[in-house]
Amino acid sequence: MRIAPQPGERIDRRKPFTFEYDGAKITGFEGDTIGSALYAAGRRVFSRSFKYHRPRGLLCCSGDCPNCMMTVDGVPNVRLCVEPVRDGAVVRAQNVLGSLDRDLLSITDKIGGPFTPVGFYYRTMIRPRRLWPLYEKFLRNVAGLGKIGENGTHRRYDTEHRRVDVLVIGGGRAGREAAARAEGDVLLVDEHGGGGALKGRALGIYEGGLVPVDAGDVLYRFRAERIVVATGGIEQPLVFPGNDLVGVMLPNGVRRLTRDWSIKPGERAVVVTADDAGLEAAGDLRAVGTEVARVVDLRSERIVQLAAVGKRGRLSAVLVDGEAVDCDVLVMSGGRQPAYSLLAQAGARVEYEPRRGIFVPTELPENVEAVGSAAGDLEGAAVPAASYDGGDGKCFVCICEDVTEKDVKRALAEGFDSIELAKRYTTATMGPCQGRLCHLQSIRMLARETETDEAAIGTTTARPPWGPVELGLLAGRHYEAMKRSPLHFRHEEAGATMMWTGAWRRPFAYGDPAAEVRAVHESLGVIDVSTLGKIIVEGPDAAELLERLYPNRFADLAVGRIRYGVLTTDGGRIMDDGTVARLGDDLFYVTTTSTGSESVCEWFEWWNAVWGYDAEIVNVTGALAAVNLAGPQAREALGALTDADVSNDALKYLDAKEITVAGVPCLALRIGFVGELGYELHCAASAGEHLWDALVARGAVPFGLEPQRVLRLEKAHVIVGQDTDSESNLLSAGMPWIVKEKPDFVGKWAVELVEERGIRERLVGFTMDGGLLPPEGAQVVENGKSTGRVTSSRVSEQVGKVIGLAWVRPERADDGTRLSIRIAGADHPATVTLAPFYDAEGAKLRS
Amino acid sequence: MFLLACPHCGPRSVDEFKYQGEVTRRPPERPTLRELTDYVYFRDNVAGVQREWWYHGTGCGLWFVAERDTRTNEVLRTEIPEPSRGRTPAPVEAAVPDTPAV
Amino acid sequence: MKDIFRVSRMWRPRGELKKRYDVVVIGGGSHGLATAYYLAKNHGVKDVAVLEKSYIGSGASGRNTTIIRSNYRTPEGAAFYSRSVKLYEQLSADLDFNLMFSQHGHLTLAHSERAMVTMQERAEVNQLLGIDSRVVYPEEIARLCPQINLGPRQTWPIQGALYHAPGGIIRHDAVVWGLARGADRAGVEIHPYTEVTGIERTSGRATAVETNRGRVEADVVVSAVAGWSTLVCGLAGVRLPITTHILQAFVTEPVKPFLDVIIVSAQMHVYVSQTDRGEFLIGAEIEPYTTYKSIGTFPFLEYSARHTLELFPQLERLRVLRTWTGLCDLSPDYSPILGRTEVENFHVSAGWGTYGFKAAPIVGTTLAKLVATGETPDLIAPFALERFHTDELVSELAAAAVSH
Repeated sequence: MRIAPQPGERIDRRKPFTFEYDGAKITGFEGDTIGSALYAAGRRVFSRSFKYHRPRGLLCCSGDCPNCMMTVDGVPNVRLCVEPVRDGAVVRAQNVLGSLDRDLLSITDKIGGPFTPVGFYYRTMIRPRRLWPLYEKFLRNVAGLGKIGENGTHRRYDTEHRRVDVLVIGGGRAGREAAARAEGDVLLVDEHGGGGALKGRALGIYEGGLVPVDAGDVLYRFRAERIVVATGGIEQPLVFPGNDLVGVMLPNGVRRLTRDWSIKPGERAVVVTADDAGLEAAGDLRAVGTEVARVVDLRSERIVQLAAVGKRGRLSAVLVDGEAVDCDVLVMSGGRQPAYSLLAQAGARVEYEPRRGIFVPTELPENVEAVGSAAGDLEGAAVPAASYDGGDGKCFVCICEDVTEKDVKRALAEGFDSIELAKRYTTATMGPCQGRLCHLQSIRMLARETETDEAAIGTTTARPPWGPVELGLLAGRHYEAMKRSPLHFRHEEAGATMMWTGAWRRPFAYGDPAAEVRAVHESLGVIDVSTLGKIIVEGPDAAELLERLYPNRFADLAVGRIRYGVLTTDGGRIMDDGTVARLGDDLFYVTTTSTGSESVCEWFEWWNAVWGYDAEIVNVTGALAAVNLAGPQAREALGALTDADVSNDALKYLDAKEITVAGVPCLALRIGFVGELGYELHCAASAGEHLWDALVARGAVPFGLEPQRVLRLEKAHVIVGQDTDSESNLLSAGMPWIVKEKPDFVGKWAVELVEERGIRERLVGFTMDGGLLPPEGAQVVENGKSTGRVTSSRVSEQVGKVIGLAWVRPERADDGTRLSIRIAGADHPATVTLAPFYDAEGAKLRS
Repeated sequence: MFLLACPHCGPRSVDEFKYQGEVTRRPPERPTLRELTDYVYFRDNVAGVQREWWYHGTGCGLWFVAERDTRTNEVLRTEIPEPSRGRTPAPVEAAVPDTPAV
Repeated sequence: MKDIFRVSRMWRPRGELKKRYDVVVIGGGSHGLATAYYLAKNHGVKDVAVLEKSYIGSGASGRNTTIIRSNYRTPEGAAFYSRSVKLYEQLSADLDFNLMFSQHGHLTLAHSERAMVTMQERAEVNQLLGIDSRVVYPEEIARLCPQINLGPRQTWPIQGALYHAPGGIIRHDAVVWGLARGADRAGVEIHPYTEVTGIERTSGRATAVETNRGRVEADVVVSAVAGWSTLVCGLAGVRLPITTHILQAFVTEPVKPFLDVIIVSAQMHVYVSQTDRGEFLIGAEIEPYTTYKSIGTFPFLEYSARHTLELFPQLERLRVLRTWTGLCDLSPDYSPILGRTEVENFHVSAGWGTYGFKAAPIVGTTLAKLVATGETPDLIAPFALERFHTDELVSELAAAAVSH
């Protein structure tokens, strides 16, 4: 129904585009939307409604209403009226059983009405309970609109951060004028672009002046000093029987069809309007040759009765106060409501103005300004009735959710008498239009029915985003943080199985973990421990700071010596552990667990800020690589790679020394997490691979995290965060020896008070009597009740048993106590073992 | 996403900072159990102006104190707090424990 | 069925406040209404007023993500929530109101070996208590949720999950309305738009509350106000170990059924379900800072969307329709504070963090019993406020955070 070319049309007829709609080829022109092209091709029904499956046609042509949502190229719920035409697009109707014209589910409209009043699902399908899943399945299947496609499109989305002095939202006259007036760096954003405006939709005004703008595949995050909201007004529908029939339109629908796309909307029209917009639409209709049979201007003509009647969901006539006028187009205009959502979200109050029958924003926040229609600068509209009578057709308050006047009345009669309760019960305003076309109507109706005024009813909370926004755009580009050790590629080259530990990727093992364990016990192994947190604490007060942070002593630690330390909170809970090496009078080198480096660093800095010590704290985790060379041959191998004296006298257990290994300056820490003679070598990250290669060339067998866990478990060494939890303290974890007598440290009082009261549970080692391996997390049970839990368990070839660590009641924590551990539903005996399972005296470490 | 003025770096989005709770008073000497748990667990949680710790984690690494109205998230002021200067007396005893080492 | 043809009031219109009630419940959410309902139903205590400062269900009850489950970590927690799930299963019939409880199962994903151990521990604790809960591996996850992305384009590969078949979602508003109707029919008075401004004590005992509609005497006062617990309990002179935070959620436009089970990823701080209406309902963790300003943040939308798409890349073009924010009380051990306080006859339900809605019926039955008999039921004894004074926490946290 395209008319001859006319001045001002937005289509370029020289540039045709062809897409597919339900199997047919449809052609539109550049400037068309898929919706307008379909309309021009004679298509009138664009969707079926949510609940009653009533036919729906173009209504707003501004992307607000749900009436033209279809699935385009597999993407559901695309609003065709604003979706530009493109070649090859595949457009499908959704939420229909059959076709848009013959939807079998429309039976719900004819007979479903009385059976499915508002909230019917709350009152039915209760008994018998076993049938509910069947009912529910049916309900789920009839609900929803489009279908999710099989695969994501993997579009590329980007996020851009921008700063401006003034951001003007809305490119209408008021917005353009405000932008012209504004000083400094000014940016204008408009949904349709044009006139120098950035094309995009502001999603909200968040705290700190953050305005995210949806520009299709780019999300702009604007921070603005001043924000001017010029979002205009939203044309409001009237509420009368048949107000959803195909052919009933808002003025903008007519304006865009006629002026932008040169389409004749129909043959004969009626206009019922509260403002000039309807009169302008009448002019637009006449200009394209549609007969305007009747114009009702609500400002001068008082009508009681208004109803639209139709055939098969399509408008055929309008009844005005008893007079029937045949027509196929009805323009309804209930005036415009300021689009205040962004303002309300920014903190403005919204007030009802009875004279004009609209809600207007007031009390704007300091940096936000409203101009034009959004500010309530609207004149000349009549206040329409909450609803008009005139027929038995359904009278919709909310077309998205198919909520009728009858539903609202019923909800009120049932006691849902506040706007928020009525909204939740009827679901009015909760559909895809986000209340744009039904919020005011709902409030008006509640006011009328409860015999109060709209001000007393109030509004519902403004909930961003202002306009539906794609998850993909919000997500931006696909990325997540991941940490790799400086030796990462050596592990990959060696074919290691990698595993996820926090943000780190670490080798689980390179081959057979048991063989790697044997290598460490019998000859020589090397493990990448670069993930350990590494912190330098330096300054005149460094020793004192550490003295107060740790339960054990550091002030007396000799230069060149190392001590194990456990950090606790003032609540006495274990936070992290690691070693502290004194490298100079004022210089300490602290290691933490692999996940703890940042939190420990923060912790140190926090207490340092509290106490004001003269100490610098620097996290050097990422700058350094570290490896642990362990096994009976460790000294020999190290000696071959260094000129330094690494004899047991020169580099004792718990000594720290700076030496050069394979030409790489290293800090050597002689410690032994894995229970054999060992040296932790810390060096610059860039030299890590060289050092690693040299050690491997000397015969060190790379071992992964899994063998390390076996080795440390043989020594009953605790892994903080695995063997301890948020309630563990030093006494319950079996580390009373670490607590030293001193005036203060973080956690001192808690430890003392725990000592007085006694512990609630205790961490112990255990061996299984049989060969069954309990999973970590298995429960220690007494009389079928949980009384403890296994935190670590492994098969140890060296010990010749299944060994582990478990929390048990203190009464069950003595050496040799028998325990029951539940494994796969059956209880299995175990025995408490308090000493380390391997080399209990630590002779190997000192050898 | 309100803004906080880091005393070093100026106004920044709140997601650059780590929140560490309201400023509490650590007991100056050995507390009773009830006094300790009051310090460790119980909070004023005011609906109004609160003094609270923040850490500029993705910025300069400064710990500072802010006064914020928890009803509006308006930050009234930020400051680097005076340290408590409480010094511990020198250690009196030296012992080398047989510790498991990491 | 005949019910749907007849229009009947859910509850009486708000009446005048009496001068005195046996019991005053502060908070007209799921906990307050459940307490009132079970007081009348189980104990015949009907002289009860529920005082709500806004409309019923206006707080956390109407803002949560409606997930019901009992696969908790502590034996105390798991036993408690397990009773709650059982009560929820019967509640539609009890209330003669369809709460649309759909038990399609609940998967808590584990993205690391450490997380797998945590899942194992929960499964073991749960199984000892007879709770249907077990660790499943990717093959079974693929069967339970064929839509989920199990690779290869993942930052956090799914190593397994804790599968909890009875877990499900429910229509949260219906729970509030059904309980309100049940309470009202039993004689309980519900007073919306009635704000408590003071609590009177006489020799260590709560005796009356002041409201914006006048003073009301009561033998027992119960506080059931998520988010505002510190302030309400403060009126009675009771100090709490609680901080108030916002929790946010959003829904998308409705689409046809895609996802039946509930998917939770603690690693990625996101949980995803699809409602009976077809909307995806997606929530996240609480914001770390305390606040009473219930306003959403944009980064929440960004990271929730990113994490949702990690799990379901198919949803890339689905649109977010609406976000909202609620206030949560957070306790130091993530377990609730339930029962007596040091003020006699002033009882509290607080500190639920993000778990409160799951507990409504069991909170109602146990608090009602406490109020009616003066005895603390065994099930809630571990959750007493006193535990924070004696330092005997019930920690739902697996590992310690730095400061709390």
